[in-house]
Amino acid sequence: MPDRIYFDHSATTPLDPRVAFAMNLANIEAHGNPSSLHSEGRQARDLVDRARGQVAALLGAPPAEIVFTASGTEADNLALLGAFRIGSEHAPGHMITTPIEHPAIIETCRFLEQSGVQVTYLPVDEHGLVDPDTLLKAFRPNTRLVSIMAANNVVGTLQPIAELARIAKERGALFQTDAVQSAGKVPLDVNREPVDLVSMSAHKLHGPKGIGALYIRSGVHLHPLVFGGGQEHGLRSATENVAGIVGFGTAAQLAADNMTDEAVRLVQLRYRILAGLQEVLPQAYLIGHPFKRLPGHLCLGFAGQEGESIRLLLSLDEAGVAISSGSACSAHKASEPSYVLLAMGFDPIRARGTLRVTLGRFNTTEEVARFLQILPQAVNSLRPVASYAGFTR
Amino acid sequence: MPETTQVKLPGLDCGLCGFKHCEELERELVLRPELLKRCIQVSDDRVSASASVSGISGNASTAPPLANPAVGTRPRPNKLPPFVDTLGRDFDFYLEHFPEDPGPREIIIPHNPMITRELPVKKGDILIGRPLGMSCGCPITHCGIAMEVDQRTGVIVWCVTGPLAPRAQGFKDLGYYIAEGYEGLITETKSEVKIGCRYYFQPRMCMLQWRHSGLVNFMNRTPSGIQVRVEGLWIG
Repeated sequence: MPDRIYFDHSATTPLDPRVAFAMNLANIEAHGNPSSLHSEGRQARDLVDRARGQVAALLGAPPAEIVFTASGTEADNLALLGAFRIGSEHAPGHMITTPIEHPAIIETCRFLEQSGVQVTYLPVDEHGLVDPDTLLKAFRPNTRLVSIMAANNVVGTLQPIAELARIAKERGALFQTDAVQSAGKVPLDVNREPVDLVSMSAHKLHGPKGIGALYIRSGVHLHPLVFGGGQEHGLRSATENVAGIVGFGTAAQLAADNMTDEAVRLVQLRYRILAGLQEVLPQAYLIGHPFKRLPGHLCLGFAGQEGESIRLLLSLDEAGVAISSGSACSAHKASEPSYVLLAMGFDPIRARGTLRVTLGRFNTTEEVARFLQILPQAVNSLRPVASYAGFTR
Repeated sequence: MPETTQVKLPGLDCGLCGFKHCEELERELVLRPELLKRCIQVSDDRVSASASVSGISGNASTAPPLANPAVGTRPRPNKLPPFVDTLGRDFDFYLEHFPEDPGPREIIIPHNPMITRELPVKKGDILIGRPLGMSCGCPITHCGIAMEVDQRTGVIVWCVTGPLAPRAQGFKDLGYYIAEGYEGLITETKSEVKIGCRYYFQPRMCMLQWRHSGLVNFMNRTPSGIQVRVEGLWIG
């Protein structure tokens, strides 16, 4: 049986063996607490400091402007709740975001609204893009924060972050971006782009799960969410996850060293899948922006197959391909169509019938070729639905 | 020299256009000026949803209808006014699943009832299938756990649970089935519910959040809500 094909890198990425090696070494050789003054402690501190520099370099930032968290979600929470000083004598103000943000932002906004913060959700176009003009018009005198993701996890669209951040800066508001999907794949330089807060997560760039980071521009003051020993500049108390941090640093370094070559390779694989699809399934269509998108990200709709994505996903899974779909009727998850696609103007049924193919470091041309062989068989296996839609090849 | 070569590329060498260096794209633009739209830094490209996208053929019927969500609109369907489905239609009540069940309880019969014996389907099996035609015409493949199985008639009672269990444990494929009835709990209603009457209702876990209609032929008022069985199902 051929090896399985993993095409779900927007969900998570396999750990790079070089990262695993660095983490193992840290676990075995640096068991000290980085806050301790003895040699073991100093050794662990050195590893944390080195990793902080590696993660900071991904953004062109000074190491002191990186705070490690337990996840990208926590980084988002720290950015939003910290900016509004939730838990302290906060002054309710106004913030601007989009309806296609990750739940880490959307749900935090809901909480902020309950705390008296006014939230404006900017519309997006059919590709999921924010029009900078709408941001301009959404500002109010008390707007304190703008939060717009760098790349969307569902459709892969990249936002014009530099332009949006400039607008926020000109109006005196903080600009936060959730770069969990784009960090290490798309350049983001804090010296060029006036972003104030950037959320990242290691496991999206072949690093370990359970470790994230928030870039905080010098001069931006956040209120902590976790209190204790004062680690991470007092913003995230807790003994550092040394091995996780080392893994994040190594993963960041590997991503930075090879970012352009990897982007070119993934873009070419992406175009190969698109071209192959055009040949075997002309009814398929791309969702999200055709070019302004993550290099290895495809979100696909199948005309006539809307709503059948569960069966297609299962069929592909059986054939050895792991891809992602929207959720389905489930008692365990609220039964909503993709809110991202709804916000982009899709009707509820099309907002269900999509598949997400996301490529990563270890995917090969051969795997893409095999996927293109398997996919039409899987689509055709949907029987009558397929036959009336013309999937008879 | 073609006009497009005069566009200044940003020199970031990000690779997102598929070329390693901006200079390579610049050289290519001489022959293929349309490639400029691949540069995310300079392109202000907007593609109509009804047009062909990125080499993938499309047509008007495959393109999603566009909406213009207003500034300030909440993104979630559960913020719609109560008792209105995603197509804007009124309904009378929400049908919840019993709290002790793993999902919404449905009474179904495969289009070929013999398949219940042939597979065979047993209590606890993970099943998938689609409720084709009568009733209720849902276009979505459902997944669930068999709760009761009548080998003589082929009728199955299952709880719809979503795709996670089948992916983990394997499943039996019913093909197509008829949803004969739903059993559940009414905790929110805008109309008085009477046995023998037909209602529009919204199964809480319906993926599409489309209203259904059906005849209530069993009722039992309990402190936690009205237990009902609804038969004669249709979507809409």
